[in-house]
Amino acid sequence: MTDSVPKRSGLNSLFQPRAKGVLLVSLALLIIAVVAVPWPLQPSAPTTRRFTMVSRQFEFEPNTIQVNQGDTVIITLTADDVVHGFFLDGYGVKMRVEPGQSQTVQFVADKSGKFRYRCSVSCGTMHPFMLGELVVGPNTTFGRAVALIGVVAIGVTVYLWKFPLREPGESTTEVRSKK
Amino acid sequence: MNTTRIDLLTKIPLLKSILKSRFFQPVLMLGTLFFFVFAILTGFFGTPAGSKNFSIIYIWIVWWAVLIIVLVPFFGRLWCTVCPIPGPGEWLQRRGIIQKRYPKLMTLRRRWPRQLKNIWLQNVAFLGMALFSAIILTRPSVTAWVLFAFLILGVVLSAIYDNRIFCRYVCPVGGFIGLYSLTATVELRVKDAQICKDHSTKDCVIGTENSYGCPWMVFPGNLERNAYCGLCTECLKTCPRDNIALNLRPFGSDLLVAKGRSLDEAYKAFIMLACALMYSVVLLGPWGWLKGWANMNSLGQWAIYAVGFLTINLLIVPGLFWLTAQAARLLARLDISPRQAFVDYAYTLVPMGLMGWIAFSFSFVFVNGSYALPVLSDPFGWGWNLLGTKDFPWTPFLPQVAAALQLITLLIGLGFSIAIAYRIGRQHAGSDALAWRGALPITAFLTGVTLLFTKLYLG
Amino acid sequence: MIDQSERLAIIALVLILIGLPIAIFGYQYGLRPALAGVRTIDIIAAAPEDGGFQPDAIEVQKGETVRLRFSVPDVTHGVAIAGLGVDLGHIDPGQVKEVEVTFDQPGKVTFYCNAWCSPNHWRMRGTITIIDPADPDAHRRIEAAPDPVIESLIEREMDIDAPHDAAISPNEPVSAAEGGPLVENYRADLPVDFFDPLWLQRQSPAEAFSVLKETLPNLTDAQRWNIIAHLWTDSLAESELTWAQTEYIKNCAACHGETGNGDGPAAAAINAQLATTAMNNDKVASFAPASPTMGATTEIYYAKLRRGGMGTSMPGFGDIFDTEETWRLAHYIWRLTFAPAKPSPQ
Repeated sequence: MTDSVPKRSGLNSLFQPRAKGVLLVSLALLIIAVVAVPWPLQPSAPTTRRFTMVSRQFEFEPNTIQVNQGDTVIITLTADDVVHGFFLDGYGVKMRVEPGQSQTVQFVADKSGKFRYRCSVSCGTMHPFMLGELVVGPNTTFGRAVALIGVVAIGVTVYLWKFPLREPGESTTEVRSKK
Repeated sequence: MNTTRIDLLTKIPLLKSILKSRFFQPVLMLGTLFFFVFAILTGFFGTPAGSKNFSIIYIWIVWWAVLIIVLVPFFGRLWCTVCPIPGPGEWLQRRGIIQKRYPKLMTLRRRWPRQLKNIWLQNVAFLGMALFSAIILTRPSVTAWVLFAFLILGVVLSAIYDNRIFCRYVCPVGGFIGLYSLTATVELRVKDAQICKDHSTKDCVIGTENSYGCPWMVFPGNLERNAYCGLCTECLKTCPRDNIALNLRPFGSDLLVAKGRSLDEAYKAFIMLACALMYSVVLLGPWGWLKGWANMNSLGQWAIYAVGFLTINLLIVPGLFWLTAQAARLLARLDISPRQAFVDYAYTLVPMGLMGWIAFSFSFVFVNGSYALPVLSDPFGWGWNLLGTKDFPWTPFLPQVAAALQLITLLIGLGFSIAIAYRIGRQHAGSDALAWRGALPITAFLTGVTLLFTKLYLG
Repeated sequence: MIDQSERLAIIALVLILIGLPIAIFGYQYGLRPALAGVRTIDIIAAAPEDGGFQPDAIEVQKGETVRLRFSVPDVTHGVAIAGLGVDLGHIDPGQVKEVEVTFDQPGKVTFYCNAWCSPNHWRMRGTITIIDPADPDAHRRIEAAPDPVIESLIEREMDIDAPHDAAISPNEPVSAAEGGPLVENYRADLPVDFFDPLWLQRQSPAEAFSVLKETLPNLTDAQRWNIIAHLWTDSLAESELTWAQTEYIKNCAACHGETGNGDGPAAAAINAQLATTAMNNDKVASFAPASPTMGATTEIYYAKLRRGGMGTSMPGFGDIFDTEETWRLAHYIWRLTFAPAKPSPQ
């Protein structure tokens, strides 16, 4: 059965310490590149985006807002039922809003990525889970994350292909028989 | 026998004498019982506002985070060592807390049904709690009822059956701690199995004059995996041959132990992975209507939610994995049954699921961790100010760091699980290359899961 | 034999199971009140459908100092005590706020929620009855005093709750600002009544418009409306205006809307509810310059504020605002009609 697949000797990998090093170093470099190299994505020209947002137990409407990096974001928030709050991760924007008393906040979306906005005033049972998402595009953070997942999945797979693992105490050469 | 193990007890004699002492476990359990009773009291009598109630914050944020991020991956069942829930029942059963005074346990001596000698009941219990998680996590009084019910159930089961039936077969938390402790970097094992084989009286099973037989109904001499050893340290006290070791070992070791793999554990792995994903969608997602369903705004909507939740947990995730495992079986030309391929490869989901849970937990630990301070000063929300921190405001802590940590955690889980898929394949495959091929579909599945988590957290 | 360690462990267990609850409840209900020095009244402030203020009727002795401690179980409330200048502001769930009050006069004061907390928000009120031991009926006499303005309306057979639709209303935007100079220019030509506050508060803008049409025939309709707008919004000093604006936002805007258009977040539900009742055309009032407001008078606003709208969802604020404050709010409503301020003072 073993004839039909390419046979590799465990000795092979033993005598290729340099090859292993090359693979590991190139994987490490690839990871650094994915994390650090600037992406050639130019955000579109900044504009001003206004959102009218309603907060109610236990959601924001809209629950997702999308802007481009550099945009000026103006959010006018109203409360529909009880007192709510608004806290935007990463931007530190915070306000409290009461039914009949709308609040407006303005900021420049200078950081890209996904940022959750949460109710910051306890508003009932599901309050801790009352949140929405601001996506500041282009979302290079997510792009890099996907690339990293690819690098890890393919990297580990290639590594296992080139350098088969041995369990502790197992012989380094492949002399195994099926159970 | 194994070069990758370091026996902590030989290295640290002080630790050994502490663990051998009869004080060790009861003192810790009394300590945690204090907080447990306190949590029940705050839950029942304190403010219904969860974020200002000790029970919610210290059970579902502090305890949970410590359990899943620190205790389970590094110390396995260490929580079970200190968990107060079996305490009252066990002390009644033994008619003693520290000192052994009676040779026999005081119970009705019923026999636990053979059909339940697995973790299916724990799977059901966990799913049952998961269905109501939105209710339990947000309402102090419900949390208090759950904790109280555990305590009572522990006492009742201890009165009917010998030993820790609750811990071993019922506890919804114990089920996944057991499965995930397969990865833990600590294990309790015997130093030399032959010594146990030759030891005719088996003191560790039946007990001695001063100590008890294993309350977890485990024979240490046979221990090859962490799943059902509760680290209660009783065998250290019984063993007359000084044959018990507490080893440091590499992460994930028990996942490769073929003996003991079973469908109930495989399902535990599916349920845990599916729940981590579901919670990330329901609780962390932006969809208010879904939260309303989970929160039982109406019974009908909740019923739809429950059916969907159970379908995903019990059919969809296992179903997709079944297909994946069969693809792996065919590619690697494994000479095992489809069912065995399904069960064996399911253990690749253990590191992934654990890391998924850790990633999920990072999201609320960083955001809501600051609740822990005011609650310490005013545990009931009665306006106390014991430590002067009553008015410490809710301060989300570095949410973007949490996101980075989530990604790193998931990547570790992914890489580790792929390697486990390959290594499990090698246990059955004719060659390294075939095992490698078998790992490909599993890798695809794991990558998909990682992408899904990442999309939810970062996309 | 039970050895020493076992005995200690049993004591520890008993302390945890029995001593811990005793210590907690002993501190909360025994020691803490004893240390407080003054009588502490614990009040749960919950939305009305969950019980409102519990307790909602408190009795104190004249001259007594009590500590009122409010705790909130559900959603944010605001707690204020009418007539005493006490406003604790928002109290969030799980938060506890307390205030020490000395009651010098016999009578009845109302404490109420001033943050919109439920469709029944306005029902969230409680009373403190101050009893003078020397004169046990004093508080009842004060309570029973009738309101002269409402009495006068009833005497003149004015129906406070009927619609006050006017036949005429402005067709284009009205400007109180442009009315100011016009009033100065035509001061001599304007009827003397127009400068009499008592006359103004009994007059509807539509009635005044008819008068202007006769006395100042050369002006355009828009100019006449601007004059009226100016006169109807000119009565509040800056500080009174700020006060009224704040109270309007806190107590009224959830229904009547931030700018008075009857479109507050609670309006839709109330309108839907009113549509199912006999008064099917009734809606949360809009103060926009249209027929229903042009027929209303400051006096009617005062009466409605004071005793509420019978058969509508408009609650009475007689227990919350004194007469002077009520006039201030009644006048402020014309601001919303004729000189809308920018939404929400920051």
